[in-house]
Amino acid sequence: MTPRFRRLWQALGLLLVLLAVELGMSFLPLNRGARPLVLIPAVAMVGIVGATFMEVRRGPGIVRLFAGAALLWLTILLGLGSLDPMTRTDYDVRDLSAK
Amino acid sequence: MPIHRLISCSAMSETYPTHELQYSSARHQAESAISGMWLFLATEVLFFGALLLTWIYARHWNQAGFDAGAQQTNLAIGTVNTVILLASSFVYSAGVAFMEAGNSRRLVQCCATAWALGMAFLILKFGIEWRDDFAKHLFPGSDFAIQGPLNGGARIFFEFYFLGTALHGLHMIGGLMLVGWIIWRARRGDFSSAFYTPVTVVGLYWSFVDIVWIVLYPLIYLVGRGP
Repeated sequence: MTPRFRRLWQALGLLLVLLAVELGMSFLPLNRGARPLVLIPAVAMVGIVGATFMEVRRGPGIVRLFAGAALLWLTILLGLGSLDPMTRTDYDVRDLSAK
Repeated sequence: MPIHRLISCSAMSETYPTHELQYSSARHQAESAISGMWLFLATEVLFFGALLLTWIYARHWNQAGFDAGAQQTNLAIGTVNTVILLASSFVYSAGVAFMEAGNSRRLVQCCATAWALGMAFLILKFGIEWRDDFAKHLFPGSDFAIQGPLNGGARIFFEFYFLGTALHGLHMIGGLMLVGWIIWRARRGDFSSAFYTPVTVVGLYWSFVDIVWIVLYPLIYLVGRGP
């Protein structure tokens, strides 16, 4: 087996292990706010697919620039978009009217 | 002249890929095609990023309703479909490696397997899972199954579910057409170890479709599940 095929098989094995971890994590008694932690294995899986199946390191330099730019834009989109729900303070209007 | 045409030099036994006028070499043309696909995929990341942001925002304000919706989804089919897509992406990548070694027969076999796995995904997703979802009144219409205080959140969850899986399914259909095109061209003898750029470019797209599902799977089936 050539090194490239070995890498592909290892990647598939790792992806299936991470999928099992992710599935197992979903049955842990986490509170609602912490449940998005289940996404951590998925992030690792995305990295493995990008590194092995898509071979991001193998292409011309501009490929890494585009891949990095996509991650940067996504971070900005999700980061700025999440600011409101993560930082807004809710006041119970009924409590205020009772006072 | 398209890059895939090979010219034979009578004085030498090798064949050389030609390139179009605007490129300095065949390598330059191949790198441009691969870079172009990556740029397209970067725009796709933002396309699906908006969907991801919708999930973050909507779930934050409707956690109980989202969890109630997620618990109605079919975890078994979702998990099997994830394994199918991972296997499909792996098999296609193996096909690219075979083509790099000059084995176009193996490429055709790998592409046909990847295509069949992709088709199995679509049948499971839309032929069985969606049909069951509609039968259980989970489409957020007038007879939506989840009523009471969780109705609003569960409705938004299933709007996300149907929109996300439909968009991914459309990308899958596009990918299946591209993989079919690669099979057709490989059988015609268009590719060699010296030229297989379309195989690489379609592989990038096929793996990206896999990545989208890797992200959608926990958002739909896993985060809202649990004791």
